[in-house]
Amino acid sequence: MYFALTDTQREFDRAVRDYLAQRFDLAAVREVVESADESGGSEGSGDSDGAAGAERSAGSGGNPASLWAAAGEQGWLAVTVPEEYDGLGLGLVEAQVIARALGAGVAPGPWRGTVLAAEAIRLAGSDTQRATWLPRLAAGEVVGAFASRGSAADGLPAVEYGATADVVVAPAEDGVPGLVLITGASATPVGSYDGTTRLAGLTGGSAEVLPGATVEVARELADRATVLVAADLVGIAREALSRTVGYDREREQFGVPVGSFQAIKHALADLHVGVTMAEHAALYASYAVQEGLDGADLAVAVAKAKANDVALQATAAMIQYHGGIGYTWEHEAHFFYKRARRLAGQWGDLTVARERIAALTM
Amino acid sequence: MDLTFTPAEEEFRSELRSWLSAHIPQEWTRPGFWESLDDDESFRLRRDWERDKADAGFAGIQWPIEYGGRGGTPGMKAIYDEETVRAHAPRTVNPLGLAFLAPTVMAIGTEAQKKEIIGPLLRNEVIWCQGFSEPGAGSDLAALSTKGIRDGDDFVVNGQKVWTTNAVHGDKIFTMVRTEAGSAKHRGISMLLIDMDQPGVTARPLRQMSGASEFGEVFFDDARVPAVDCLGEIGDGWRTAMLLLSFERGASGISQYTEFRRQYDEIVAVARTLGRDTDPVIRNELARVLTELECLRLHSMHVLTQVEQGRDLGFEASMTKLQWSETFQDLWEVYDQILGADATLDTLPDGTDLRPLHAQAMWSRSVTIWGGSSQVQRTITAERVLGLPR
Repeated sequence: MYFALTDTQREFDRAVRDYLAQRFDLAAVREVVESADESGGSEGSGDSDGAAGAERSAGSGGNPASLWAAAGEQGWLAVTVPEEYDGLGLGLVEAQVIARALGAGVAPGPWRGTVLAAEAIRLAGSDTQRATWLPRLAAGEVVGAFASRGSAADGLPAVEYGATADVVVAPAEDGVPGLVLITGASATPVGSYDGTTRLAGLTGGSAEVLPGATVEVARELADRATVLVAADLVGIAREALSRTVGYDREREQFGVPVGSFQAIKHALADLHVGVTMAEHAALYASYAVQEGLDGADLAVAVAKAKANDVALQATAAMIQYHGGIGYTWEHEAHFFYKRARRLAGQWGDLTVARERIAALTM
Repeated sequence: MDLTFTPAEEEFRSELRSWLSAHIPQEWTRPGFWESLDDDESFRLRRDWERDKADAGFAGIQWPIEYGGRGGTPGMKAIYDEETVRAHAPRTVNPLGLAFLAPTVMAIGTEAQKKEIIGPLLRNEVIWCQGFSEPGAGSDLAALSTKGIRDGDDFVVNGQKVWTTNAVHGDKIFTMVRTEAGSAKHRGISMLLIDMDQPGVTARPLRQMSGASEFGEVFFDDARVPAVDCLGEIGDGWRTAMLLLSFERGASGISQYTEFRRQYDEIVAVARTLGRDTDPVIRNELARVLTELECLRLHSMHVLTQVEQGRDLGFEASMTKLQWSETFQDLWEVYDQILGADATLDTLPDGTDLRPLHAQAMWSRSVTIWGGSSQVQRTITAERVLGLPR
């Protein structure tokens, strides 16, 4: 029995986290959040002083170029792409490791959409489609997106990085199985208070069928997407909790650190248990899907339900247990809270995830 | 990641499985069977069955053969926990001795203690009680006032313990005694192993809200215990107790999951009988609890991995206790919600006997108190794991 990340997977995790801490910290995230690029911001304007080496991202569709380049160079985008297509040939467990780290860093950028588009092409594409897209997606030369709602026929609302994406995977028609690859769609930016991610509605473009997209494959892709979103939420939750614990150890009120008050201690202890359980659940779900284990569907629903729950609790607690400062624009708590709110609704909100659990166990 | 057991461990599973199916009478697995017996009868049946199990080589799975154990792996112990619950094996009569005293003795006992305690404990020749709580010292364990005064080679013990599991059936008690007069809080306490079959020890049953009398009170009135029957150093009993409690709190999540998951299915069946299984609120609540149960299963795999890697879980054990006890309690609260107007009835209109389920619902109120209350576990987690200031 070995239920844990391997040493190699842990090193991978550390590498992503180290990169984000050194090269794309919260000051850099703030620059992306505050850049108003959907109205055509000016590229490269001004210089970066606070953000540890990050460049201005205005005009890049909320997709910071240096971070995207790093994602390509360090293999974050190539993670699940087979080696024959210049990928790393790793699994959903490793992808989950990256997703969690990106969540912890509330990092912007179309990583998940690119990885999922590649997964769709890998699992359902023709040989030509694989050869055309996989090496370029793996290298970060093209950006991918994976639509969670709508259809190619009727339009795709609020696609993550829909305006940046070169290729979009989407359901062909509402209610009918089948996935298509869309290129050249027209994008309309969609406003969202989660400034760490850019969204766009998509219409038109040319659609090409993914020949292997059966109901089962579409279900599996949805499971993979769900796991990666759950992992992002788990990363958010752990980081929100750690930052709050760190703050409450030091912050004094009534002459003592607020973290010495039992009301706060017990709430944070419960969150620690909850976040730890969500970490187990996301890890297991990624493994169960990767290996095609019995009960993988239940594992995915459990991971999403638990991740939703703890991410909303931990990020709300982050605001509450920072006191007034946690409610300000200047503090980073809102990045975590807003991203958690958005992702909790993606690929199965709490009600949807729980109904799936009920259907599978009752 | 590798969630499989070794071939040797799987072989052990099938061996154990066939022994269990041959040695557990069908009648015993009927819902409510054990609740229908009085405490003495239940105890006698379980004690005899467990002795047979020990004779068949299924006791002390992880303990060394030289001390009467099986010499198995942590994986085999997890399989044992899972299979015994799956087979509806009766609950052990010696839970405190097996789960807490034995590992503590193996960790810090003298060679003589290992030899004298483990084997007889595994064969249930000696039933152990745990004498920690007192009327004035429950969650505040260090407030204990039971005193031991040195008299030659012995300690003479006076005081009272309470909430003592198996008090009336116990042969021996591992107990926290203040052995340095005038010492305060965590200092000057010793963990003494006291023979309960002596004139100075009286045990009295306490009836619980469930109606059963699994625990009781123990009175020490000039009870004698040789000083060599101290576990750990004399005066260092607090440290011994903390080690012992970490085994209690880290208790097997896998057997609890297996048992609770079965109870979840029983509760779902009740919901179906009452036509509540299609109620979206009930479905949501059941799914919420199921999520926590699955997390408990995964957490127990995490714990097993840590144990196999030789890591000490230490204060992380508080998390295990919180997860299983709070989830278990929550499960039975949802059960009440499902029953609604029928919450307290002995039977449903269709004849379903609810009493065994009610017994579990009542029992669920105790699990967040004993073994360190949830409040104590949260404080430990906050201070020792998260590093929040005291």
